[in-house]
Amino acid sequence: MSEEILHPETEIEILLVEDNPSDAELTVRELRRHKFANHILTLNDGEQALDFIFCRGAYRNRSLSRLPKVVLLDMKLPKIDGLEILRAIKGDPRTRALPVVMMTSSSEKRDLSESYKLGVNAFIQKPVDFDEFRRVIESVGIFWLAVNRAPPPEVFDAG
Amino acid sequence: MKAEAIERPSMENLLDTIAALKDVKQVSQIQIIAEKAERDIKHLLDRLAISDRHLAAANVDLESFSYSVAHDLRSPIRQIAGFSKILDEEYGSLLPEEGQRYLRKISQGARQMGNLVDDLLHLAQIGRQGLALQHVSLNAVVTAALETLQPECTGRSIKWHIDELSTISCDQGLMKQAFVNLLSNALKYTQPRELAVIEVRTTNSSGEHVVFVRDNGVGFDMRFASKLFGVFQRLHPASEFEGSGIGLATVDRIVRKHGGRIWAQAEPNRGATFSFTVAASV
Repeated sequence: MSEEILHPETEIEILLVEDNPSDAELTVRELRRHKFANHILTLNDGEQALDFIFCRGAYRNRSLSRLPKVVLLDMKLPKIDGLEILRAIKGDPRTRALPVVMMTSSSEKRDLSESYKLGVNAFIQKPVDFDEFRRVIESVGIFWLAVNRAPPPEVFDAG
Repeated sequence: MKAEAIERPSMENLLDTIAALKDVKQVSQIQIIAEKAERDIKHLLDRLAISDRHLAAANVDLESFSYSVAHDLRSPIRQIAGFSKILDEEYGSLLPEEGQRYLRKISQGARQMGNLVDDLLHLAQIGRQGLALQHVSLNAVVTAALETLQPECTGRSIKWHIDELSTISCDQGLMKQAFVNLLSNALKYTQPRELAVIEVRTTNSSGEHVVFVRDNGVGFDMRFASKLFGVFQRLHPASEFEGSGIGLATVDRIVRKHGGRIWAQAEPNRGATFSFTVAASV
C-alpha cells in the first residue's frame, strides 16, 4: 500500500503484508501508538512483498543487509498467498533468518501446521474483539521489537 | 431404512398364499400386482437413499457456507468496533454526551456480533474436526470441567453430587467442552437459589448408558423444549440471564458426533435435567 518512493537506505523495522487497507490501518495505528518502530512499511500484495524482501523489481536498489526486524504476514493475500511467501523466505538461505509472524483470521489447524512446517517464527490469530486485538498487537510489538534480539545483518549474507 | 426388512416377509407370505389358491387366472393376476408392488417399493427405497445422500451433502455445504461467511465477517466486524473506538478516543470530546452514547452503542453492537460469529465458527469447527478417540474416564473429564469453571463458583453456595462415572471411548477435548457447557448452564440458572444443587449422575435406562446433569435452578417450560438445542435459541430473556444461546447447540453437536443423543426435562422454577447417551463403557 506504500506509494512513497523508499530511500534504499531507509531502515524498515516492520514489514506488514496485508491486503485489506482497513485492517492494515488498525494494525499500524496500534504499532505506532506504542512507538515500536520508526518505519513501518505496509505492502498489500505478496508479489511486492517478495520484491521488497529479495531486493528486486521496484526495490532492486535495496540491500539484503537492511531487512526488517520482523515481517507481519497475513495469510490471505491476492496473487501469492501468505504460505507461499513464507515458503520463499524460509526456503532461501539469504533470508531464512528473517523473523516471520503469520497473522490470520483463520483458526484452521491445517494453516497452523503448514506454517510451522515451513518454519514460521510465530502464528497469531487476530481476535475479532477490538480490545483483545489491541492487546495482541501490543504483545507482538513488545516481543519482536523490544524483547527479541533481531538477527544481525551478517546472517543474511549469501556466503 | 428398515421398510425393506418389514415388507419382505409379508411379501413372501403373500406370494406363498397366492400360490396356494386354486383359481389359476386369479392367481396370476394377483401375482403380477404383487410383483409390481415389490418393484415399486424397491424403487422408492432407492430414491430415498439418494435423497438421504443429497441431504447429507447439503448439510456439509451449509456448514462450509456458514463457516466461510462467519470467517469473512470477522474482519469488517473488527473494523466497525475498532474505528468507532478510535473515533470515541480521538474525537469523542467533540460530541455531546448523547453522541458519545451512540458511539458506545455501535461498539457494543460490534462486540456482540463478534461474539456471535466466533461462537458460530467454534460450532462449525466441531463439525469439521475429526474425533480423537481415547479411553477417557468421565470423572476425570468432569473434574477438568469444574476446574475450568472455578471462577464461576467462587462466592457461591453449591452442593455437588457426582456419581462414579464410567470410562468410555470419546474425544477428551470435546467431551470436556460438553461438560463445561452443561455445568456452566447449571451454575448460571441456579444463581437465584440460596443453595445451588448440581448433580452429575449416570443410569442404564433401557439398555442405554445415560449420563445426566441436573440442577435445582429456574428450569424452563417444556413447551419450548424443541428450541433448546437450536443455534442462538434462548428460553430466557437476555436481561435475566446472559448468553448467546450456542452452549447447548454445541453440546448437541458434540454428543451427536459421538453417535449419542441429548434431551432435556424441566419445569419452570423446579430445575432442569439434561441427559445424553454415551457408548457403553470400555
